[in-house]
Amino acid sequence: MELEVTIQRYLPEQSSEPFNQSYTVPYDTSTSVLDALTYIKEELDPTLSYRWSCRMAICGSCGIMLNGKPMLGCNVFLRDYVQTGMLIEPMAHFPVERDLIIDMESFLTHLEAVKPYLISKDSKESVQSFDPHNQTPRQLDKYQQFSSCINCGLCYSACPQFGLNPEFIGPAALTLAHRYNLDNRDAGQAERMPMINSEEGAWSCTFVGYCSEVCPKSVDPAAAVNQSKVTSATDLIFSLLGGRS
Amino acid sequence: MSYRPTLTRTWWLKNTAFKVYMLRELTVLPLLFFLLCLVKGLYSLSQGAEAWYLWLAVMQNPLVMLINTLALLASLFHAWTFFQLFPRVMPLEFGGKKVSAPALVAGQWAGVLAVFALVAWLFWG
Amino acid sequence: MQQNKQLKRSDEPIWWGLFSAGGVCFAVFLPSIILFYGLLLPLELVILDYKQASQWFFGFWGLIFIGAVIIFPAFHSLHRIRHALYDVKFQQKTLIKWLTMGFAGLLSATSLLIWVIGS
Ligand code: SF4
Ligand code: FES
Repeated sequence: MELEVTIQRYLPEQSSEPFNQSYTVPYDTSTSVLDALTYIKEELDPTLSYRWSCRMAICGSCGIMLNGKPMLGCNVFLRDYVQTGMLIEPMAHFPVERDLIIDMESFLTHLEAVKPYLISKDSKESVQSFDPHNQTPRQLDKYQQFSSCINCGLCYSACPQFGLNPEFIGPAALTLAHRYNLDNRDAGQAERMPMINSEEGAWSCTFVGYCSEVCPKSVDPAAAVNQSKVTSATDLIFSLLGGRS
Repeated sequence: MSYRPTLTRTWWLKNTAFKVYMLRELTVLPLLFFLLCLVKGLYSLSQGAEAWYLWLAVMQNPLVMLINTLALLASLFHAWTFFQLFPRVMPLEFGGKKVSAPALVAGQWAGVLAVFALVAWLFWG
Repeated sequence: MQQNKQLKRSDEPIWWGLFSAGGVCFAVFLPSIILFYGLLLPLELVILDYKQASQWFFGFWGLIFIGAVIIFPAFHSLHRIRHALYDVKFQQKTLIKWLTMGFAGLLSATSLLIWVIGS
């Protein structure tokens, strides 16, 4: 069986505009989009560039837009696109370096900005000691869902608010902040709140909800972001009452 | 060397999820129209019986009724979306256990019915 | 995102709070209110005479009605209009904020004023 796969190419040394190129790829029931890209690079066109590593939806490096929807290339199969055909484009809302390679720099700085690590109670340092930090199942349950993020960035490509304003800290970063705020071992909420409270924090979100739809790990970032709005609103009330700021 | 495509005004026409989102946001337009009707009604009521019955007549205008029918549909669509968001934004616990999302959604629809019963009783009771 | 940029607290929690309260009202109260006042009343399937109406609306329950059915939903409505305008790239943020929230405030003040005059 063969399927025509169209890819949006961008080769800055050849032309300043992206263009579409189609390839005919043989496939069977187990051929993923990532397999198809590998086939194209190895057999048809060595100039094609794309990212991948684990091939099993864990590393989060193979994100693409497939017919306009953000997806992991290794997590989706050609057999399901026989009717619709396939258009593969680089992940939306990010600068494109070449072909399917995007510049993730802004995503990484956004993640960093929320201090996504345990901040201990007694010092401002992140937890360094080797003492065990025991947790009950209930304490774990509070944040566990929000901790399965693989930093693939698909939610950023799904988020029109990030598309409209790249300064928006975005779904995955806010989810990570919320995840640590919910962790009973962490004492860093006060340090994360200024970011969350700002316009570029939780308040840029209008609950479009598409981020949660495309998330390959069912993290539900939209829920985390909107729970953060409740946290932020509470924080404002506390600061007005003269409590913590 | 890299390029960053910018979103156009019509980005939301590009996929179904975004169209549904825009539809949800636009439910507030017929709502706003209905609210203006209410404020006008309240004003007429303060101006005496004649003004009040005049307002009732305006409410019978087919175009007004058409928009208010849209407002009714909009309120139901809004309710459908809003009730689903609630358990995600404010997950509730009861006796140490998370209340299930379907239970919370059902509870909110029960609220809609209760209000309906109340208003019906005010008019018919 | 410069990390050392001074982060300013957004005033959005206030508008979001009003928006959420209004969202609950829009979902829970408005279907019945629109059905009865916007459709059944004009169709003369229910009746509401002047005396009855003015007694009820310019009393205590009228005030509750104005809050739950007019004021909160007005803020809900204009909050969404405000953000939808931004979504379609009318991004004069401050101006649009003043216009939309101002209009919601104006509607609220007007209804309260009418209530005060009427009662
Ligand atoms: S929240 Fe989901 S979609 Fe977003 S980066 Fe994490 S795994 Fe990817
Ligand atoms: S290659 Fe690792 S997630 Fe797809």
